[in-house]
Amino acid sequence: MRHVLPLSLLVAALAVLSLHLGLRPTGPATVWRALWGEGQDPAELIVRGLRLPRMALALGVGAALGVAGLLTQAALRNPVAEPGLIGVNAGAGFAVVLALSVWQVGNLGLLILCAAFGALAATALLFGIAGGGRGSAGPLRLLLSGVTVAALLSAGTQVVIILDEKAMEDLLFWLSGGFADRPVAALGPALPVMIGAAGIAWFYAAVLDVLAADDETAQALGLPVVTARIAMLGLAALLAGTAVAVAGPVAFIGLGAPHLARAMRVMGHARLLPLAALWGAALALAADILARYLIWPGEAPLSAVTALAGVPLLLALLHRRAPA
Amino acid sequence: MNVTVTRLGLLGMLLMAVLVTGIGTGSSFLGPDRVMAALLGTGERMDMVIVWTLRLPRVALAALAGAALALSGALLQRATRNPLAAPSVLGITDGAAVGVLMFLTIFSDAANHLTVPVAWQPAFAGLGATSFALLVLLLGGKHRADPLRLLLYGVALAALAKAIVVLLLIVGPVYRASQALIWLAGSVQAAQSRDVVLLGSVLGLSLPVLILLARPLDQLRLDPDSAFATGLPVAAVRGAALALAVVLAAGAVSVAGGIGFVGLLAPHAARLLFGSRAAPQLIGAALLGAAMTTGADLLVRLAFQPLEVPVGAVTAALGAPFFLWLLNRRGDPHA
Repeated sequence: MRHVLPLSLLVAALAVLSLHLGLRPTGPATVWRALWGEGQDPAELIVRGLRLPRMALALGVGAALGVAGLLTQAALRNPVAEPGLIGVNAGAGFAVVLALSVWQVGNLGLLILCAAFGALAATALLFGIAGGGRGSAGPLRLLLSGVTVAALLSAGTQVVIILDEKAMEDLLFWLSGGFADRPVAALGPALPVMIGAAGIAWFYAAVLDVLAADDETAQALGLPVVTARIAMLGLAALLAGTAVAVAGPVAFIGLGAPHLARAMRVMGHARLLPLAALWGAALALAADILARYLIWPGEAPLSAVTALAGVPLLLALLHRRAPA
Repeated sequence: MNVTVTRLGLLGMLLMAVLVTGIGTGSSFLGPDRVMAALLGTGERMDMVIVWTLRLPRVALAALAGAALALSGALLQRATRNPLAAPSVLGITDGAAVGVLMFLTIFSDAANHLTVPVAWQPAFAGLGATSFALLVLLLGGKHRADPLRLLLYGVALAALAKAIVVLLLIVGPVYRASQALIWLAGSVQAAQSRDVVLLGSVLGLSLPVLILLARPLDQLRLDPDSAFATGLPVAAVRGAALALAVVLAAGAVSVAGGIGFVGLLAPHAARLLFGSRAAPQLIGAALLGAAMTTGADLLVRLAFQPLEVPVGAVTAALGAPFFLWLLNRRGDPHA
């Protein structure tokens, strides 16, 4: 637990920083007044109305993506797996776009359900194709299959978006992924789902430890391997799908957070999981702050920022690992 | 040999049929006879205008882009000895898009007009494509025995290139919805005759090199040692094939964007039809690529008119399942 405290402090510092920084940086006094006062000063309104919701979304979504990445990597025994790369986010995105434009779903809770279902369906599709259920597909092949599934699903999303001219602008904005200008109310129904899924995963962290070993060991220890793997991937899909429903597809946070958590050299997933959540939140906050300055005075899409940072990490991981 | 020639002839006729249908289809339908008359310059004035200024650029661009991407894919698959290689998989198309957007961003004035001739655009596309291709090959070169790793480097760098494209679309003066459609998914919707001339000359210029390469490419199919023993400068031929593949893909992307999976599908289909000798396979791949892209564009226009679905979405929907099958088929020694 000695890592949790400093990491929490880092997340808190980033969160406070994200309230101060932006197109026009705000002083601490103004931020303080904005948070506790009722002032109508423009600077205070920006902090209270724009930056505070962004910060809250980044915290929740980042943590969910971090945990989802950890679960995916452990269950697939694949250090380069990530919900954004293996098509889970694309599945959730496709489901939400379908729900919004074809079935005209307006209810937030229902949308989150759709996203989670889309994420689950994409995971199942990937398993059906790559035979991951038996643990037979090499990590690289699974990743490539996932990338292709993602390409297929985004082609479907594109078609639906263009067919629905009325909602096109809203859908494109949502699909660009990010925390700015999104309804913070979505966190209401999303947070219980995220916390519940992460809590269940944390409760069964010992299962993750066993799954991360090879299948024979896991079986010898009395674990129903396939059931356990599917359950963990289901939890990961639930987390990722909820995150996508709230903030749109954001890639690479789920890749980076578990690796940063593991780099702290703690044993066991019971300790890794909170660290991955904290790192996910920290990465999301940092990326969100960076997005405000990367192409100043414009605002960069969050997924572009995470890709710029995440791709070098992916390359390094590919470079290091032994062949599949 | 006769079978090959017959099949090539049939394929050529199929392509002609798709082209004529593509030109004839639109808000006012023209029958094949009227299309041919207009193409030959003997049609009515109205038909001539419709065909030459409205329909032909789009159809011709689709055909040329498809042919260029298919040839590029066939060359890549031979040069890297990787059946899964394709310009879109190896990050080349996205690299070319980065190059084009760099060009448009640097050389546009405040009124959105270019300050240099547009003929430089393919050069910048080539620059972007070459840089990304070199990066992928350099990174993947260390793991030559592992074809999947090469592809993953390509996929990763393609993601990086896409991020850069999105940023440039926002920063640059070129931000328009139709442009985003071209650079993110591949589309021939905004085709102009200068695009056709541009891509046509790239293809025309690479034709002599292709003819020269046909025989060495056959030798390259042997393992490197045997190929060297037949007197083939293996590294040089491989380099030339890769360079040509990059040039062709860059030419296609610079005018039509990254139309995905054509460069993967067409060479494989051509191999099934014509065997693996280089000359017939390359010709067949080019014809198939052209027919595929034109057909996909026709489908887009028929099914979704008046909305503009990018043709790249259709080719991805067809190509992605094929790629998955190729990747995961049982007992494949390559993957």
